Amino acid sequence: MDSALIPKGAKRCPFPVFALGIAVVGVVLLWGVYAMGLCWFKGLNQTNMDDYYGFALWIWADLAVIAIGGGAFFTGLLRYVFGIDELKNIINLAVVIGFICYSSALLILAIDVGQPLRSWFIFWHANVHSMLTEVAFCLSLYFSVLTIEFVPLILENRKLDKVPFFHNLGHNMHGVMAVFAATGAFLSCFHQGSLGGVAGVMYGRPFAFREGLLVWPWTFFLFTWSAAAYGPCFTLCVLKMFEKITKKKLVKDNVVHLLAKISGWMITTYIIAKIIDTVYWATVTAPSQGQTFMDFYSNNPFYGVWILVLEIVVCGIVPAVILTTQKFRENRKLLLVAIILGTFGVCLNRWVMVLQVMAAPVMTFDTWAMYIPSWQEVATTILPVAYGVILIALAYRYLPVFPQELELNADQQD
Amino acid sequence: MKQDKHGKNHKFGMVVDLDKCTGCGSCMVACMSENNVPFKEDESRKKDSITWMRVYKITNGKSFPETEICYMPRPCMHCGGKGDHGHSPCVSVCPAVATDYDHSSGIVSQIYTRCFGCRYCMGACPYHARYFNWWDPKWPEGMENYLSPDVSPRMRGVVEKCSFCFHRYQEARDRAYVEERDDIEEQEYQTACTQACPAGAITFGDLNNPDHEVYQMVEPDAHNCGKPKNPKAFRLLERLQTNPKVYYISEREWVRKAGDNYLEGEWEKVKNNHGNDHE
Amino acid sequence: MKVDRRSFLGLGLGAAAGVAVSPVAWKLMDDSSIWTQNWPWTPVPRDGEVTFDNTVCSLCPGNCGLSVRKIDGRPVKIEGRDDYPVNTGGVCLHGVAGLQYLYDPSRIKSPLKRIGDTFEQISWDEALELVATKLAEIRDAGKADSIACVTNHGMGTVPGLFQRLLTALGSNNFLSMDTMDKAWEKTLEKMHGVHGTLGFDLENAEFILSFGTGFIEGWGSPVSNFKANSSRKERGAALIQVEPRLSNTAAAADTWLAANPNTEADLALAMANVIISNNLYNTGYYVSGFGPGFDELAAMLKENYSPEAVAKTTGIDAAVIVDIAKRFAKSNAPVAIAGKGKGSTPGSAREFAAVHLLNCLAGNINTKGGAWILSPQDYEQWPAVEMDEVASQAIEKPAMDPAGSVAGFFAKAGAEKTVQALLISDANPCYALNDAKAITKAVQDIPFVVSFSSFMDETTRQADVVLPSHTFLERTEDLPSAAGMARRVTGLATPVIAPVFNTKNPGDAILAIAKAMEGTVGESFPWESYEECLEAVTGDLWSDLSDQGYAAVQETAPATRPSVDFSFVAQNPAPVEAEGTEADFSLILVPLDNVRIATGSVASSPFAVKTVPDTVLAGKDSLVEMNPETARANKLSQGDLAVLETPKGKATVKVNLFEGIMPGVIGMPRGLGHAMEENRYVSGKGVNINELMGPVMDAASGLDAAWGIRAKISRA
Repeated sequence: MDSALIPKGAKRCPFPVFALGIAVVGVVLLWGVYAMGLCWFKGLNQTNMDDYYGFALWIWADLAVIAIGGGAFFTGLLRYVFGIDELKNIINLAVVIGFICYSSALLILAIDVGQPLRSWFIFWHANVHSMLTEVAFCLSLYFSVLTIEFVPLILENRKLDKVPFFHNLGHNMHGVMAVFAATGAFLSCFHQGSLGGVAGVMYGRPFAFREGLLVWPWTFFLFTWSAAAYGPCFTLCVLKMFEKITKKKLVKDNVVHLLAKISGWMITTYIIAKIIDTVYWATVTAPSQGQTFMDFYSNNPFYGVWILVLEIVVCGIVPAVILTTQKFRENRKLLLVAIILGTFGVCLNRWVMVLQVMAAPVMTFDTWAMYIPSWQEVATTILPVAYGVILIALAYRYLPVFPQELELNADQQD
Repeated sequence: MKQDKHGKNHKFGMVVDLDKCTGCGSCMVACMSENNVPFKEDESRKKDSITWMRVYKITNGKSFPETEICYMPRPCMHCGGKGDHGHSPCVSVCPAVATDYDHSSGIVSQIYTRCFGCRYCMGACPYHARYFNWWDPKWPEGMENYLSPDVSPRMRGVVEKCSFCFHRYQEARDRAYVEERDDIEEQEYQTACTQACPAGAITFGDLNNPDHEVYQMVEPDAHNCGKPKNPKAFRLLERLQTNPKVYYISEREWVRKAGDNYLEGEWEKVKNNHGNDHE
Repeated sequence: MKVDRRSFLGLGLGAAAGVAVSPVAWKLMDDSSIWTQNWPWTPVPRDGEVTFDNTVCSLCPGNCGLSVRKIDGRPVKIEGRDDYPVNTGGVCLHGVAGLQYLYDPSRIKSPLKRIGDTFEQISWDEALELVATKLAEIRDAGKADSIACVTNHGMGTVPGLFQRLLTALGSNNFLSMDTMDKAWEKTLEKMHGVHGTLGFDLENAEFILSFGTGFIEGWGSPVSNFKANSSRKERGAALIQVEPRLSNTAAAADTWLAANPNTEADLALAMANVIISNNLYNTGYYVSGFGPGFDELAAMLKENYSPEAVAKTTGIDAAVIVDIAKRFAKSNAPVAIAGKGKGSTPGSAREFAAVHLLNCLAGNINTKGGAWILSPQDYEQWPAVEMDEVASQAIEKPAMDPAGSVAGFFAKAGAEKTVQALLISDANPCYALNDAKAITKAVQDIPFVVSFSSFMDETTRQADVVLPSHTFLERTEDLPSAAGMARRVTGLATPVIAPVFNTKNPGDAILAIAKAMEGTVGESFPWESYEECLEAVTGDLWSDLSDQGYAAVQETAPATRPSVDFSFVAQNPAPVEAEGTEADFSLILVPLDNVRIATGSVASSPFAVKTVPDTVLAGKDSLVEMNPETARANKLSQGDLAVLETPKGKATVKVNLFEGIMPGVIGMPRGLGHAMEENRYVSGKGVNINELMGPVMDAASGLDAAWGIRAKISRA
């Protein structure tokens, strides 16, 4: 019944099946919207955040989606600026994921602040010294760029494309896309970095504080680098999920392996930098503030050294080795392990840089603060996931997200 | 930038004598009462309980009967930040300049109508001196009659904290202006907690003015971001270079040690070295 | 339509510019943020002219001078009065929070009459008439002596009017709540043969030896003591605290002697032994003032209280006992003080006498920095009470409790059920006395109970008629300073605001009741108003009171040197043991007083409750303090829910581990567990320890000397 909208030649599941799937996810979405409404109308007392946990689950989710959405800017950079042409076969997916991640991030921020109706003060009364101001500016600008990158794809919809205006608009936008991709990459480098800076500049919090270059703490660069490194892992994860669900091959292996290899080398360089940073922090920065490495990983019920091992070894070195070794990354299972670990690793890094920062005591007589999110927080965090699933499903169904789909599935075409 | 007749800025600060403090809580309530701080039915969740002035109870960690305790009142430290240039941990991170450093008084302000509740400042403050209005402030029927017009009640969703009773400073300045005086007297501007403390444990004044008691008590080292020269005085988390304007004094070594983090053996080296090490 | 790159950019930019130029979005954005800055449900306090009114606080016996800041006549802030001799500017948290009492919407807003289990609002005329008629009926029935009255404290003209009414009716049963004052009075009677009270010149003392007092936890006049403690640090005067738990006083002390519970008297006697056997006692005093029993005492101490023997009892090293005793005796201005915690309960005569013995031996009676024997507050000049025949006959009957103990009175009232009417003013015995449940039962059994209270507290809830009184900020009242204070000051509370609700000064209510009763009762009250009565009765003091808000009654040490009778101590009275047996209850539960929690006739304010740490109160649960060793032995850990059981009752509590409490002792905060449903900020939080403790009557004094109770605890 919606066949007129479906890309020409592509095979999609029957509409009722699709509609049912969307409806199921839609229920989850509504649950999230309800929780969001509670937070807006009743206030943030609906959460389990407190004066120790001003930043909690949401900010982690925010940082995590931005990190894993980093595939968009990095792939765009590779495709349009460095001219790696094969990546055009996955760039649409990266852009859609990026769009979802960034719109989610903005939504989360709008729920997270105590006075959403005043949130524009961040622009109007901007404090140029604040990393958060930098985040806000770069994030909203980059979101605009992502929108511009997403629009031509929408315009490629079979029905829309028939309208000459849209057709021409889309065509022209494609023409200027390199400019936007470059701008986007630049903006993204900054806001990924400034999100890292958010934690790194807090010189009152030895767990988070890092020295750095000029006004930027090392976390600034580590965040940008890790988003670029791990973002493609998530793009690939989504691709694999798609292929699993649709039981189709959607992108050619050479493209996947190329992106995996690039990601692998990025992770390798990142994790070396991260290890150096961690060692310097543990042996120089923190001791200069009177704290030992183990102060940050003991006397509490949750945060042990295991979390650092998990982040750096299991989710850093392991995927780096797999993805940089041709034999391993071309093994389907190992590739899958690597990209999942990678995605998890960057999310874990963001968790540590938000939640563990809040948990670790600084005053000698203070104690570790623990926190368990309320259902409203969980629901509003799942909300963007549901929204993302719906949006990406719609995109896949109605837009030519995968240019190689038809070629790879020639035998299945109607 | 308003300056006094000597052309020098004020730097208001506080000295708490921890050996006199009995932990009675007068300062906490005087502060709540002066500043229209709201209260809820259950205030036992201390991480969701607005207490601009909070009194911590700390112990020496020894077992019975060697145990000792000390009460440590903790208002906002009004940090001067690294280099004492006004880049307090919180001020430097606030994205909307809703909290700012007033160079003429050294006071860290908080503009409730500007704050949009991102809570970054709370994360940045190692002293947990900042409080978020998770709830709409509500007074039982009739009790809003005691609210003071000098301090506006805060709305839900914004951060608040100790202001060193800034409205009292304004009032003192206004009075001085009307009386055609160039500057205010030491006793004209005192915070509500200082005034209420029955033990006289809190002293308040201008750390830039050698005539003021606070100055004489701690001897702030102007060349070292105000680090106290008095070996019995210390500031909380001195090593983070937040440069607080709240000083503590105690004869007890374990109390002074509890003011900051030290690696093993470090305390022995620095404990008698106050104000001399230019880090 | 052909769109080229040029027109595409043009269109795009044009559209963007169009939206940006349109004011609608911007205006909406701006308006919505302005709305959030002025939410109608966030109050905006009215501004106006600033004035200050002075008055005196009567929330506790400390009676500090207050300065109330007002805006357009509306009180907004309470501060300490700088020129008031008791507190010179300082103020405690309860006083600062006074406006929360004043404006408390759960206050009693008009007179009430009990109808079954509920109250009905009635007019003042009806209420006063009701009380007068009922009292007249009881009197006419020949039971005038079965009318009783309990006030919070016994000093000043308001309690004076209550006592006068009782006398005019023909009853001796006028009582004030039991506090350490009564124990001191008994001690003075036994050791000096005088009727009076003891004050301590703590601001000039050079060596304060405190036997479990909460010197800086609300004992005596709290703010005055905070100041004395600070000046002590400056003067280099020592404070030695004897107590099984590291209280705030112990923490502030130079030396904390963690003696076993209930061994304070033993320690004091051992020190007395050291002083006598080393001839360190004040020989000057000995010559002039030491009366009977000294030699017997010396012999008894030598036999029973050697430092070595007492070291075993108390757990304090013999060498330490000797050292402290010598330092005490050699100090220029030593003083020994007793009265556990805030002194809100009496203690045993043995303990008070043993402690006061040290004062006597040091010869510091009526000296600077010592213990002053003060005559009872006697500035009031009352005209003689008109007594008719009924009154004259009834007054001959003895008081129900000869020792004058409220605990004893209620025990008898509960057992004999002879009390016909009870007037209660500003006191809350159903909450504050040991075995609160039994007291409540006793009050319930009294046919006619009248409460003069501002709040629907536990006792008022049992009343048949409630005559709501002004809070201290709305009343006029003379307030003599607390026992324990050497320098006596009488303060004058004056209203800082017109009554917020339909309440009366209890003094006026008494006058009205008396006038409604014909004959000599009415005639005994010749004043038109309480103010008129106050002015008349305070006599010479009135001009000072009305001019400066206070009158200094005693500024220097009395010149007399009362003789000392040692015979009571020489008899070596037995200690008052805790209720319960060690076999059934292996632990000892002691109440913990802290200045942040009000324990007297009024409950804490919302602000005060807010200052209570989460190691004392968590949600609705009280936390009990115990040594980690005690917890291990009872298989408990931090935060555990546990059942605490005593011979008197059971309660569910949470566990708080504290190294500073002696193993085997459990500490429980006093002042929690109020049942005042209308006040949700204060009520229903924690456990009232008085429901777990019972009175232990001291044979030597007739007062309740319970200092703790045996207990056991297990995981809930």
